[in-house]
Amino acid sequence: MITMAEEDTQRSVYELLQLMSSLNDTRRAILLALGHIYPRSVSGVQLSRLIGYSGKSRSLYRGVLTHLQEDKMILIDQLTPKLYSIRINNEHPLLGVLVDMCRAYGKEVKSLYLKAMEEE
Amino acid sequence: MDQLLMKARALHNERKKIAFSALLIAGTVAFYLFYSPGIIDLPPPDWFPSGWIQGFEVVASFNTIAFFLALGLMVLAYSVWTWAFLPSPAAIYTMGVLRGILGPDVIIRQSIGKKFRVMLEGGNHIDVSCSIKGLGGEWFNYRLVSSKVEGENLDSIALRHGMSIQDGHFTSHVSNDELHSRTLLLAKAMMFVNAN
Repeated sequence: MITMAEEDTQRSVYELLQLMSSLNDTRRAILLALGHIYPRSVSGVQLSRLIGYSGKSRSLYRGVLTHLQEDKMILIDQLTPKLYSIRINNEHPLLGVLVDMCRAYGKEVKSLYLKAMEEE
Repeated sequence: MDQLLMKARALHNERKKIAFSALLIAGTVAFYLFYSPGIIDLPPPDWFPSGWIQGFEVVASFNTIAFFLALGLMVLAYSVWTWAFLPSPAAIYTMGVLRGILGPDVIIRQSIGKKFRVMLEGGNHIDVSCSIKGLGGEWFNYRLVSSKVEGENLDSIALRHGMSIQDGHFTSHVSNDELHSRTLLLAKAMMFVNAN
């Protein structure tokens, strides 16, 4: 017998799974990386290193990141004309679940991501 | 990237080269026609005040204006053409993917401007418009827009399907490799709204 709360969680996880698998490699990698390092935010250059993006980070901004922002999956704050801070939208009904799971079970991965970010 | 899209991309690049060389040739011909004495000699229009004409001809002849107009028309024709038509392999790919997800009998109307309208049951539709090499250098991006939806918690439903809501339409930008899965999600979201 599953309780109401468990059913809600299961439904959210199902929908999250569906959402994540509907996205392409780049977007999925961005959300996973940002979900793990939450509540930290990253710059475009750091993000492209985290996801192993070979192109210029500027081309990320004009395509993928803008579209993710339109769909309210990530939040982008412009700190200076050239520096942006990018973080996952924790208020998103499904990505909030992702963040919770990453925080609960993803400590090792998080430390790997953080280490990758520090190296210059 | 899908084989068909690779073909479409090659075709697109090829067409660009052809159009550019055609523009060069046509431009040269137009230059010859307008600037060789005796072939075309445009008289100034009658209704124009003659003082203005004299002043104007110090700066540029009417042939020069006509020449630039001709060039402008050529560029305009090319941009209208690229705006209006998707290379056919890409159109086949798009139709194939949409049919694959929504059933082989679904009615898809293709219209000028690289747009597709998918008619769903119950009078709903999805508008799919394609852009080639849009911002960010991604090839073949699609914009999905659903028909107007009404109901409660639309914002939350949209977010849960990876979309946003704009003026009562579910909207999202997707890349070509997401077209299949995210159209599915969009159709699911619309079914969800209609069921409630």
